[in-house]
Amino acid sequence: MRRLAARRAVRTKRGVMSTLQLWGQYLPQFLAGLVVSLQLTGAALVLALALGTLLVLARTGRIRVLAAIATGYVEVFRAVPVLVLLFTAYYSLAQMGLRLPGFWAGVVALGAFYGALYGEDMRSGLQSVDPGQREAAVALGLSNGTVMRRVVLPQAFLAFLPPGTNELSNLIKDTSLVLTIGVTDLMFQANAAAAATFQPMDMFLLAGLVYFAFYILLSRILARWELNVQRRRS
Amino acid sequence: MSSDVVVDIQGLTKRFGARTVFEDISLQVRRSEVVAVIGPSGAGKSTFIRCINYLHPFDAGRIRVLGHELVGGGAPPSKATLRQVRMQVGMAFQTFNLFPHLTALGNVMLGPMETKRVPARDARDKAMALLSSVGLADRAEAYPRRLSGGEQQRVAICRALAMDPEVMLFDEPTSMLDPEMVGEVLATIRGLASQGMTLILVTHEMQFAKEVADTVVVMADGRVVEQGPARDVLEHPTSERSRTFLTRVLKPLEAPGVSGEASPPGGSGRGATTALGGDVR
Ligand SMILES: Nc1ncnc2c1ncn2[C@@H]1O[C@H](COP(=O)(O)OP(=O)(O)OP(=O)(O)O)[C@@H](O)[C@H]1O
Ligand SMILES: [Mg+2]
Repeated sequence: MRRLAARRAVRTKRGVMSTLQLWGQYLPQFLAGLVVSLQLTGAALVLALALGTLLVLARTGRIRVLAAIATGYVEVFRAVPVLVLLFTAYYSLAQMGLRLPGFWAGVVALGAFYGALYGEDMRSGLQSVDPGQREAAVALGLSNGTVMRRVVLPQAFLAFLPPGTNELSNLIKDTSLVLTIGVTDLMFQANAAAAATFQPMDMFLLAGLVYFAFYILLSRILARWELNVQRRRS
Repeated sequence: MSSDVVVDIQGLTKRFGARTVFEDISLQVRRSEVVAVIGPSGAGKSTFIRCINYLHPFDAGRIRVLGHELVGGGAPPSKATLRQVRMQVGMAFQTFNLFPHLTALGNVMLGPMETKRVPARDARDKAMALLSSVGLADRAEAYPRRLSGGEQQRVAICRALAMDPEVMLFDEPTSMLDPEMVGEVLATIRGLASQGMTLILVTHEMQFAKEVADTVVVMADGRVVEQGPARDVLEHPTSERSRTFLTRVLKPLEAPGVSGEASPPGGSGRGATTALGGDVR
């Protein structure tokens, strides 16, 4: 009995050693993958914010048709799985003659999906501003643009921050889907290393740890930022 | 029409959809005149006062404010006209509506800086002077949520005054305040009146109206039922409708059965309610 336990302990120790060794060996690839994941996150975020802004402008604007289109867009795109959008951007568009590199197909798909979410977050941020605020500003004689810039948007932004940062955390995790269309992101590297070493457990664990570390880092930064913005205003 | 008429309202009519809130209201307000608008809840007092700076478009009639004309129905006034009117007509709201992301000082500085391109330093000096005049110099850096209701309303009044308005509108400026804070805000308004500011205020503070207002306008059932010198209207109302309203408001204890429609009387909103409660018990 005791011998068995001892042997198991030895094996576990060797296992830990070899895992660390493997991790050391593959870390450069993982970090290269992380860089791709971050680039993807950044580009998709820019696209999503731009699209979200356009959507909220269209939805709150005076042109009925545009408002209807924007509403329809939001309803549809946030209801479709990101993976479907990704395959559409990569395979279906290619079929129609628009061949996007995997990275850019990822940017388009993630941007299209998160743009719908951001459009909705921005709209509810704007709606959360008390109508009395607009009235008080208008009563001072401020122009519509100034009312927006100095009174409505600063308050809407505060309401937008929590869902907005939450969306960003999800976006980072969703970038891992681009593995399926061969983009060499973090998940792709983990998958490749798992296949090469026959140690999927170890490799996906490392991938998880890298995502986790980055997630924690980013959410801490965003939380601190949010707190700062709030504190500056109380 | 005399040239010292600052606000001239002719045949004002306002509808929300098919519902007519009031019809054919006319009122002239002279420079330094204090007009109190009173009447039962839902009479259209707020709607009326908000038409004066065009927070509500109206359906017929016209409002002339210092040479700028707002005409009801048809096309809305030009942006330039609206701006001119709103810069000369200050307003304080029942719910204060201070900008929560700006300090008291920031709230008061915003208008002049954004509409008149006043340099920050000058705007700050002026804002500080205004806040000092209402006893809030030491609260200048505080954000609205750290201010009491009474303080918020005084800051809101300063915010409007920073634009150097010719007329100030007040829509029940004290009705959201705890009784102990009503006095400080009324004192501020009384100060404005004594400095010769033209005031139009909707109020349930009958005692205050009697004391400060030159003219009282009683609104009920979608029209002005009585209008005239404050003392005459409040003490010897001639119209049947304003008589019933004033009876309910001034003497809620004598008519507990019908006090439901009437709003709390001036200066003693809480007191009257408690007294009533006591009566019932
Ligand atoms: N935006 C709106 N849309 C539709 N109806 C409205 C609107 N604002 C006010 N009304 C209606 O117009 C009528 C007059 O309202 P208003 O707020 O002017 O009354 P009030 O005399 O100020 O009452 P209170 O003493 O309760 O403040 C009410 O019947 C109200 O329901
Ligand atoms: Mg009202």
